[in-house]
Amino acid sequence: MPGNIRSVSFAWMVLVYLLFCSRRASVGAAPICANAQAGCHVLSLANLFDRVIQHSARTHSISNDLHSEFEQYFLPSKNHIGRVSRNCHTSSILTPNGKDNAQRMAREELTEVILKLLVAWRDPLWHFHQNMAHHHDFNNFSSNKALEMSDMVHELRKGVEKVAEKMQVLGIISNTVSSLASPEASLPSDSAEWRLMKDYNLLSCFRRDSNKVQNYLKILKCRIVPEHGC
Amino acid sequence: MRKVILLLLLLCFTAHTRGKLHSPPAKPGLTSCRSPEKETFTCWWKPGSDGGLPTTHALYYRKESSETVYECPDYHTAGENSCFFNKNDTSIWVNYNITVVATNALGRAFSDPVEIDVVYIVKPNPPEKVTVTVMEDKGWPFLRVSWEPPHKADTRSGWITLIYELRVKLEEEIDWEMHLAGQQKMFNIFSLRSGGKYLVEVRCKPDHGFWSEWSSTSYIKVPDYFHREKSTWILITVFSTFTFLILMWLLHMNRHNLKHCILPPVPGPKIKGFDKQLLKNGKSNQIFSALVVPDFPPATSSNYEDFQVEYLEVYVRREQELVLEESKDLHNSCLKSESSTSDCDSGRGSCDSHTLLMAKCREAKEGERQTDRECSIVSLEMSSGRVKTWPSVFSPLPRYSSSPLDQQRQSYWDLCLSSKQPHLLNPPTPVCRELQAHSDVNISSIGHKRAPAGPRSPALHTTEYVEVQRVDNKDTLLLQPVVQGCGRMGGCFQMPHGEVYSKVKGVDSDNVLLLQREGMGEDRCPCVEQETNEVTGSCHKSCTVSTTQKPSGCIYTAVPVRDEMATMANGYVDTATMCTLHTC
Repeated sequence: MPGNIRSVSFAWMVLVYLLFCSRRASVGAAPICANAQAGCHVLSLANLFDRVIQHSARTHSISNDLHSEFEQYFLPSKNHIGRVSRNCHTSSILTPNGKDNAQRMAREELTEVILKLLVAWRDPLWHFHQNMAHHHDFNNFSSNKALEMSDMVHELRKGVEKVAEKMQVLGIISNTVSSLASPEASLPSDSAEWRLMKDYNLLSCFRRDSNKVQNYLKILKCRIVPEHGC
Repeated sequence: MRKVILLLLLLCFTAHTRGKLHSPPAKPGLTSCRSPEKETFTCWWKPGSDGGLPTTHALYYRKESSETVYECPDYHTAGENSCFFNKNDTSIWVNYNITVVATNALGRAFSDPVEIDVVYIVKPNPPEKVTVTVMEDKGWPFLRVSWEPPHKADTRSGWITLIYELRVKLEEEIDWEMHLAGQQKMFNIFSLRSGGKYLVEVRCKPDHGFWSEWSSTSYIKVPDYFHREKSTWILITVFSTFTFLILMWLLHMNRHNLKHCILPPVPGPKIKGFDKQLLKNGKSNQIFSALVVPDFPPATSSNYEDFQVEYLEVYVRREQELVLEESKDLHNSCLKSESSTSDCDSGRGSCDSHTLLMAKCREAKEGERQTDRECSIVSLEMSSGRVKTWPSVFSPLPRYSSSPLDQQRQSYWDLCLSSKQPHLLNPPTPVCRELQAHSDVNISSIGHKRAPAGPRSPALHTTEYVEVQRVDNKDTLLLQPVVQGCGRMGGCFQMPHGEVYSKVKGVDSDNVLLLQREGMGEDRCPCVEQETNEVTGSCHKSCTVSTTQKPSGCIYTAVPVRDEMATMANGYVDTATMCTLHTC
């Protein structure tokens, strides 16, 4: 009798476990609905592209605001004399510098460039925000913007990854795009002045890079799904 | 030798002076750099003073990460003092460090370096092919403006994104109306003025850059659509005018009814069969003759028993103009203190009373005569004397002539009348005389058989009361003299015989005094209810009389209408303070 009970209970447990497992598996199985399955809201590629482009536009706008604020506040001289030549940590990433170059680049390459850029900026922005929060030279408004910027880059990256995934699913691009490890840019701890300069440089660099990202995304969109607003 | 020295000096001098006029060039300055499509760009500079010598300018640039200095590739394409960078020389997202150098024979001048990034200096060309058309939406027109992006800007590949703005105004206006169109290339403008001429212009801007110049103006004329709207209004106006006119006409036709409705007329005094104008204009003879009604008193026998009221007191009201033109003193005497007694009996009392009872409830009587009413009162309205009504119940004079019985008696009227006729019967007192004369008149007015038009002289030797026998049709009172022993009835006013008082039993409503008969405890005087219409002054006298046997002595107490309060003295009610009943 007890043996029977034990076996029965064991069977029950197995059943329950299997049930749970299957359910969890089904939830995590298909993050994107490839086909129009029941109960699955399918977002079209054009829609995804639009969202991502809007996101990048917002990111660029914030970075622009912060940059001009910095320029007013900390560097009144507009002559740019004496400014350290910009040396962004993303200069190692090869990015097309013209329309022809960008159009000649393959879709996969372009997508990869975008992702690289976004990945590269995740940590520096985080540090930048931390610096701003700790030093009360900046007002809360700027600090909030920096945080927002950092979050947006994070979201943007996820979004672009989703787009890439969708494109791969649709067969538009090959499966060569892979999630990349973020190259950590070393940020040495510096004196106040250098830090300030570094911040300004950082903002300039990021402003440009966010513009690049936005532009590349638009090019991609108009190349892949040209019917909407191109 | 000297010449040589002079020549040398001259040369030196000239050289010196010439050196002063020429100088190295002043510093030039870069004014602006612009890119129309984010693929090429142009820079312009402004030269400084050239120092009097021919000066050349050169533009040098350095890209961000390299140290190599390049010179401007194209000085001519974009005009004078400009440098044009073509596609091959332009790199986006790269900082250019640009300097302009002015050189002349004596020196050079460097401008301040300028750092630019092409992305941020984009200023596109204005939009092209702007077309404006008038379209209709349910009868209302609107403008549809459409355009194309500048042909150089590559929006199709997504390289550059433009947003547009347009402005509209009427030809005669000054201010423009701005509309932001976003990325669309078409726009609708509503709420147009009919027949107006509009000007439309469009411009564009990249998402981070400068606004372009306004495109060339497009003109458009909106057709007239206002007349349709106008015709509707005209129709409405005409229709409403017609309706208004008709309403006015209807009102005009019915204005009398309206007037009656809103302001009901005050009914004037009326005597049936009597011409009011006579009162105003006619002589007294005519008036009296007019008052004569041929068939009074009625020939039929009277229902003596029906009458229950014995007396009818008539009182002259104080404010009534008892004053005749010629008998003022009489009036005064008439209105003397009421306590004085004289030969006049209750009539005298009424003489002295304040009020003169005058009411004629002809209409009321008609309906109720069968039930023993007898207050038929004739109201006379003399123009001057303001003689109001008095109950012409006492008709000794007419009676006189009609029935032989009367001739013997002296009937007396409790009338104090202000009469136009001073000539009297021979009353005991001048006052009574007056009364009698007037009662004469009155009797005739109620249509007694014999119409004593003129003054009469009945012999009033004794004071007698008359009692109303019956009320005939249409304000005729049948009277009969009361026997002397009217003292059997309580409440009989026999002043000379003694004082008869009536006690007030109570006050009924506002205007009714209930009198009590003396000596007959259980019997109660009938109550006279009179409803007086305060507004019009007309009275509606309904006399309900209950009698047990003979007409009991009951005193009609006319309802005191207004302020005259009954003086109470020894229980005696001066009923004269009663009614000012106007004629109905």
